[in-house]
Amino acid sequence: MNDEMVSQGVATPEKVRPEVVRLEGDLVAAGLPALRSKLKEMVAAGVHHLTIDMAGAHLVDSAGIGLLISAHNSLKKAGGGLTVIHASKDVMELFRTMRIHQHFTVSGS
Amino acid sequence: MSSRDIDLRMELPPTLDAIEKFCAEFQLWRQGACANLDSFSSELLLREALTNSVVHGCSGDPGKRISCVLRAKRDRVVIAIRDEGAGFDWRAAWDRQAEPEDTHGRGIEIFRRYANAVRFNPKGNSVTLVKRFQRVNEI
Repeated sequence: MNDEMVSQGVATPEKVRPEVVRLEGDLVAAGLPALRSKLKEMVAAGVHHLTIDMAGAHLVDSAGIGLLISAHNSLKKAGGGLTVIHASKDVMELFRTMRIHQHFTVSGS
Repeated sequence: MSSRDIDLRMELPPTLDAIEKFCAEFQLWRQGACANLDSFSSELLLREALTNSVVHGCSGDPGKRISCVLRAKRDRVVIAIRDEGAGFDWRAAWDRQAEPEDTHGRGIEIFRRYANAVRFNPKGNSVTLVKRFQRVNEI
């Protein structure tokens, strides 16, 4: 990777290839602090394009939706964005119902 | 509500861990009491109500408690959640629709879209949600 970006005065290599985070449980309020910290670290490390693999998540609540949007907003400011893959039928319907699919790319399992 | 109609009643501390334990209990109860009740949408409704009570109603105050009553009727489940918090102005929030960039404010909309009926008490510290289902052997 030749491109570099400057973040907070420190030159860091731009992560062009999307990093993938695989969820190993539901995306609900109780599990969010750990995931939020992980995503913040990735964004701070220069990740601009992030893929969340939801094959391991059967349920998402409004707090989980909020975290996905927060992550996408941060990535978008850096010129990137969030993609969600392998969402279950129920989760896809929730995303459509709540219009999340208009905000970032989501695809089903 | 007579006592024999109450299928599952618990009092929870205002923690996110307590929500996890109660939702696991709920799924066991659902399989016995109303296996045809949609697992995803009913747990989603329950979680939203409990998270509101833990995060907003009790604001993490360990001295407060959350009352949960789940009742299976012929073709519906009634979820009644009450906390010891100050309540909120649910009338003002009822029609609100979160903007795409908003990271909060989708709980009430989930109630509206996934429950068959929603009822708050005037103070806003108690919500009753109704979710209909079809009995297994019903034609």
